[in-house]
Amino acid sequence: MDNGDAAAAGIVLAGGRSSRMGESKAALEWHGSTLLHRTAALLARTVAGPVLVVRAPGQELPGLPAGVEIVEDPVEGLGPMQGLSAGLTAVADRVAIAFVCSTDLPFLHPAFVRRVLRGLTDPEVDVSLPVARGFPQPMAAGYRTALAELAGKLVADAKLRPAMLFERCRVRRTGDAELLADAELARLDPDLDSVVNVNAPQDYATARQRPAPQITVQRYGALAGGEHGPREVRAATLGAAAAAAGLILDRHVVAALNGDRISRDAQLPLVTGDVVAFLSADAGG
Amino acid sequence: MSAGGYFGRAMVVELTGRTATANPLPLDERVLRAYLGGVGLGTWLLHRLAPPGGDPLASAAPLAFVFSPLVGTPLTTSAKFAVVAKSPLTGLLTDALASSQFAISGKLTGHDAIVVRGRADALSVLLIDSDDTAGVRLEPAPELAGLPAAETETAVRERFGRGWRTAAIGPAGERQVRYATISHDGRHAGRGGLGAVLGAKNIKAVAVRAGRKVAVADQPGVLAAARDLRERSFGPATAKYRELGTLANLLAFNAVSTLPTRNFTAATFEGAPALAAEQLHELRGVARNSCASCSIGCEHIYTRRGGGRQRMEYENVFALGPLCGVSEPDDVFAASARCDELGIDTISAGGTIAWAMECVERGLLDAPWLRFGDGAALLRTLEAIGAREPGLGELLAQGSRRAAAAVGHGSIDFAPQVKGLELPGYEPRSLQTMALGLAVNARGADHNRSGAYEADLSGELDRLDGGAAHVAAAIGTEDRAAVMDSMILCKFLRGVFTEPFAEWAALLSTVTGWDVDEPELRATARRIVLAKRVFNAREGATAADDTLPPRMLDTPLRLGSGRVAALTRERLVTMVAGYYAARGLDAEGNPRPEDVAGLLLDG
Repeated sequence: MDNGDAAAAGIVLAGGRSSRMGESKAALEWHGSTLLHRTAALLARTVAGPVLVVRAPGQELPGLPAGVEIVEDPVEGLGPMQGLSAGLTAVADRVAIAFVCSTDLPFLHPAFVRRVLRGLTDPEVDVSLPVARGFPQPMAAGYRTALAELAGKLVADAKLRPAMLFERCRVRRTGDAELLADAELARLDPDLDSVVNVNAPQDYATARQRPAPQITVQRYGALAGGEHGPREVRAATLGAAAAAAGLILDRHVVAALNGDRISRDAQLPLVTGDVVAFLSADAGG
Repeated sequence: MSAGGYFGRAMVVELTGRTATANPLPLDERVLRAYLGGVGLGTWLLHRLAPPGGDPLASAAPLAFVFSPLVGTPLTTSAKFAVVAKSPLTGLLTDALASSQFAISGKLTGHDAIVVRGRADALSVLLIDSDDTAGVRLEPAPELAGLPAAETETAVRERFGRGWRTAAIGPAGERQVRYATISHDGRHAGRGGLGAVLGAKNIKAVAVRAGRKVAVADQPGVLAAARDLRERSFGPATAKYRELGTLANLLAFNAVSTLPTRNFTAATFEGAPALAAEQLHELRGVARNSCASCSIGCEHIYTRRGGGRQRMEYENVFALGPLCGVSEPDDVFAASARCDELGIDTISAGGTIAWAMECVERGLLDAPWLRFGDGAALLRTLEAIGAREPGLGELLAQGSRRAAAAVGHGSIDFAPQVKGLELPGYEPRSLQTMALGLAVNARGADHNRSGAYEADLSGELDRLDGGAAHVAAAIGTEDRAAVMDSMILCKFLRGVFTEPFAEWAALLSTVTGWDVDEPELRATARRIVLAKRVFNAREGATAADDTLPPRMLDTPLRLGSGRVAALTRERLVTMVAGYYAARGLDAEGNPRPEDVAGLLLDG
């Protein structure tokens, strides 16, 4: 995870019907895995708490990163309030806050997640709601997990729109300018692409045409092959970064993401600004 | 007839006055199979021969050179031996491995181990060859006093003739600096102060000469295994060692915030690029060398500015560079060379001096010239230690734990040691499997008998969040080390094995003729680990010793990524308790009586 300071959960709501897309958005291909895998893996590298996916009853999910939990909506078709209730309930006894998002945010950046969660450092705030690119983003927002009970009650009362929750708790709305006052976010996601979602086939096609994130790779020791220093490449996953660096992530190679997390998971999602160090797996000395 | 690869006996040399007497000690095949050789057999020998509670520097203290069934075979990296004794630094068991022709010649005197006890009345050379009765003699050698080990080896060859292989101490060993080394062919049995133990016996050098042959059970099988292993040793698993040597760790560790810097106050060092293997390879002439019988060739020997050459490893660069805040390569080269000449362990020297530098910063030591980053001060301090100069030299020659006890004022909290042994170059807060390995290891803060950093850097667990998975991983690496260090194979070869215990069992069976399988070898690993704990408990170690310096537990580190690496007391205590439970130890870390009974420690 990139930010161990925030004891937050990550919750992905995957139970939507994807009616405009015409097929399951969760299973849409994204740089060798799926949109859902990428979103869940991105939260896993960002938050210190549990990551879980909320699915519709019986919904078939594509493969998920190791350690990601699955929670099922008790009833199908009740929308995001149902998912929010199920997700917050599942983590309420473990963490105080959670970042909750939909499955279809292919450009979600950890800096955005961190900025939104920071809105909950004020104990008087229950929901940190970004109002980005002109719209409130309840499906890319931070929630206090103590809201689980209220969300459950709203579901029971058939009050299913997020706005109905916001009417009953303390919401901190943060617009573009305030979000981008965060230097890290302004540098890494200046257009707030984190909230760009893909609802229809054309959205998906457009999103796929974007270049992969620009990252920095550096090969160390015997892996360097005479090349010293970092270089910029475009790669959306660790496997793609390794390939761009001329390496294969076999048992002799590991990668350190931003000097922190060690991995050889080829599907580990990368984002703009990441620095990947490739190291010999044998650290004997 | 002993099993293949063994002679079935040790030699116990008793020194008195100007004489040395050899007494054979038969080694039962049950014992050999239970402890293999190297550190395992050495542990068993110490149980048998070391008087409980004895002073490590006393006449009665034994020092054992222990070989292994693989020594003398064509298996790559097998020309290794262990030196085992009670450590004058820790007061507990210590064992150090080294590689050279000394291993082969020592074993081919016809013994699986050579144990030295007693004390000569003048500085002497102990000569041992394969003659059962007249093969041991003690030769006074006052002319060797004060010589570095390398010059001693040359002098021994000139005086006694070619064919002798020598393990020698430097002037620091003669003066019983508590972290003095034993050296041979430019290699060192480095940790724990074994050179001081030999020095206390007035033995400047032990010279051995081969005269016997040792049979293996399946010669064609051994040759085939040797060819296969040699081939594999040229592959990607050893590329790091071959191409840049262990110094390749420096930049990599810096990149992942695990390079201990300025007495463990930071985990990254701004001067790391200047000391990195990659940089030195470009700027300096470099030559490669191998230990005897090794096809990896990890030694990288750099040209020093102004003349001379120096072998540089990660651990000596870490300890004499970042740990002391020194970034000028020639200062680190010079300090490393001086440690070799004096015959002192670079890790303990660097750790103790870094502690002293921090004491000076805090106003606890009156040596205002001794500052982090000052290479000249580093060299000046090494001289003082090697000479045991009154004052600072004498203080630091005792190691950081004793020095901190003398200085007081809470300086023990930042003394970089476990059980008295200074920490190697792996930051425990950002490598929390390693933190456990360092805390529970019998030898003290040790990276070779644990190697738990492997798990931290594997990507298979969160290295900043130690828990149950880290306990299992630490036990796994400790077990693998116990077997490799007893068979003995170089651990730089470990990456070539995909099913290590099964492959090692097959190798051992081919050499010895025993029908060893993977479960037996796993049980052997546990037995060796438990036997060490039993020895240490006998010498007064308790669960309170299985910990880390307070700095590691009370002061979090902020990584370059911004994430905080915190290893709390509670977390470490939980991991240690998990280790005890998984090892089958009681709450005090002691093996249960029924386990002790199975260790064959009574013979």
